[in-house]
Amino acid sequence: MPRIACLLVPDLPIAAACRADPDLAGRPLALSAGTGTHAPIVAAAAAARACGVRVGHTVAQALAIAADLVVRPRDETAERSAVRALVDVAVSLASRIEAAADGAVFLDAAGAAHLVPSEAGLATALVARAARVGLAARAAVGASMTVARLAALHATEVVPAGTELGFLAPLPLACLAPPPAIAATLERWGIRRLGDLARLPVAEVATRLGPAGAALVRAARGEDERPLAPQALGGPVEEAIDLEYALDALEPLLFVLRGLVERAVARVGLEGIGIARLGLALGLEDRSRDQRTVPLAAPTRDVKTLLTCLRVALEARPPRAAVERVVLAAVPEAVRAAQIGLFTPPGPSPERLATTLARLAALCGAERVGAPAVVDSHRPGAAGVAPFTLGGAPAPPSANGCRLVVRALRPPRPVEVFADRGRPDFVRGEGLGGRVVGAAGPWRVVGEWWSDGAFARDYYDLELSDGGLYRCYRDDGRWFVDGVYD
Amino acid sequence: MPAAVALLDRLGRPGDIRLGSARPETIAYLPTGLAVLDEVLGGGLPRGRITELAGARSTGRTGLACAIAAAATRAGETIAWVDPADALEPEAAAAAGIALARLLWVRPRSVSDACRAAEILLGAGGFGLVVLDLGLSRARSCTARGSEVQGRTAEAERSPHSARAPHGPPESPSWPRLARAAERTRSTLLVVAPRREAGTFAALGLELGARRVCWSGGPGRLMLLEGIDAHVTVARSRVGRPGQALVVRQACA
Repeated sequence: MPRIACLLVPDLPIAAACRADPDLAGRPLALSAGTGTHAPIVAAAAAARACGVRVGHTVAQALAIAADLVVRPRDETAERSAVRALVDVAVSLASRIEAAADGAVFLDAAGAAHLVPSEAGLATALVARAARVGLAARAAVGASMTVARLAALHATEVVPAGTELGFLAPLPLACLAPPPAIAATLERWGIRRLGDLARLPVAEVATRLGPAGAALVRAARGEDERPLAPQALGGPVEEAIDLEYALDALEPLLFVLRGLVERAVARVGLEGIGIARLGLALGLEDRSRDQRTVPLAAPTRDVKTLLTCLRVALEARPPRAAVERVVLAAVPEAVRAAQIGLFTPPGPSPERLATTLARLAALCGAERVGAPAVVDSHRPGAAGVAPFTLGGAPAPPSANGCRLVVRALRPPRPVEVFADRGRPDFVRGEGLGGRVVGAAGPWRVVGEWWSDGAFARDYYDLELSDGGLYRCYRDDGRWFVDGVYD
Repeated sequence: MPAAVALLDRLGRPGDIRLGSARPETIAYLPTGLAVLDEVLGGGLPRGRITELAGARSTGRTGLACAIAAAATRAGETIAWVDPADALEPEAAAAAGIALARLLWVRPRSVSDACRAAEILLGAGGFGLVVLDLGLSRARSCTARGSEVQGRTAEAERSPHSARAPHGPPESPSWPRLARAAERTRSTLLVVAPRREAGTFAALGLELGARRVCWSGGPGRLMLLEGIDAHVTVARSRVGRPGQALVVRQACA
């Protein structure tokens, strides 16, 4: 006997609107299908319903009934994000998931048995995790999708196996949402509860009411039309919002982005992983789209770091028009793990390192943070950067002592060199200058003659009277300093 | 009155504290890898503290810093090098003995960003040594009163990263924050600069003074740069005796 869990949010459009704008929670809120006073109300929060506002009223009628009513256009983008968030909650506890068209999510409860000790625990965990992503959800476990859904709607956590008929019997017929014609016929027959309907023979009902009637009887007995159909899930975590008016300044846009980032981080955090890359798609006022990818040095869940990276990306290349729609796609990736040695000092923890690398990349630029790498080149001063990871081998024991090290000047500084009988005698340049008190060279360094970057330089080590010890070279008659011995 | 009595009970009454009764703090050291220097310093650089390595150009500061970094990576430490001047040569660092895979190289575009990067690294914890290399910077960067954004390169002036700095909030004091961050995570901050700037926030100050350049060969013969003799003086020490001096030979690779 399968055990199915159902996770759903009553009043999903209202919950999605409150998730996108938490200030709306608890207020008399109604959602309209479009703008204008004649637009119909399509969803109303409990506080609005308590004032008398009903679905089907126009905005003008609703405002006449409740003057303090908050009316917002329905945001299907936010609803899709909310449903995806529910799916993420389910994925964090089970592997066989089906997302229904109305926003309910079903999962195979047997797959979560190793994570939660009981079915009641599974329902509680689902609700708690949904709260983490900003949704007040309900969850229930039953023998079928129908039973689980009805149990969730009626605030019952678990319907034990074998008690389905007893649980369903007292429920009103309306909870199966029968078509109006069939509902009227059943009303004439005196069928008002699911228990009454379940006792009818399916074949007889099918003869009189057609396949829809037979399906209703099977649903009233807690039977599904088809088994759970798991879907392939994955890909980036998307959070989106349609703005009521176009934003033409960075700070308000970052304020909007903060909400999206926080929700994306909450969803990614359900699986204990980080965000490796951010995709930002902006719908602009001039009907064009601005798409960009924000790379991160390492997976992270630090909201401040992610916002800093987004700020840097937007400052570097601002959108060419005001922004009307924002879609944030977060590509999840496991935070890098590292084995800690028993006899070596503990390095930074992988997650702290990831956050640190991301913050440094936001501060300096991603290409300016990493492990230095020796480049396969004879060009003095050549340097490369490799991604920094934990666990590099320690340096081998060495008896080299202390080495004289060159500090590179990038790019090399041009200098004037006055020569006496072919030997450098006086050097003058930006930030340095003096008589040569010691010199060695020249040494010819030639390289990359097979490419456009060919060079042929005569190198000298020069000690000047200003106290500096420089690495200089002459290239095509011009002199440069490209390093200081320090 | 009862409130005042309760407060005194909580904070301690005058006369309760006897000078000299506190147990001396145990200080851990990060060996420099140079036996003679470790002996003078009592074991190496104090962990969780700021150490300054100050000296004029070509006095051997970078060579000494590389030797200390190499010793740290030999001991298995993960280290970071904050390099606003983009002056580190990976080949020279590897020749000095640093395990490049254990070195995080950060190249901020300005000195003020370098101070922020050092604070981030110290706050992260796990870095046994963080080198803040202000080697050729022309200006004081992280004064106790606040960071002055000077010594900025032309590239930094053009970059979008630095463009927001002039319009941003004034910098808050950096040395106290750096010192607190180092102490909290037990990381050693080694500041390489032309002069000592951290003042009392540095636990150890090493000054490199007049050095002697060693050349091989002579008149009429091929001359080669052999190295320098760097003169190191312990100018400030909160944990040992200042004023001691030694000579460190730095040879060319």
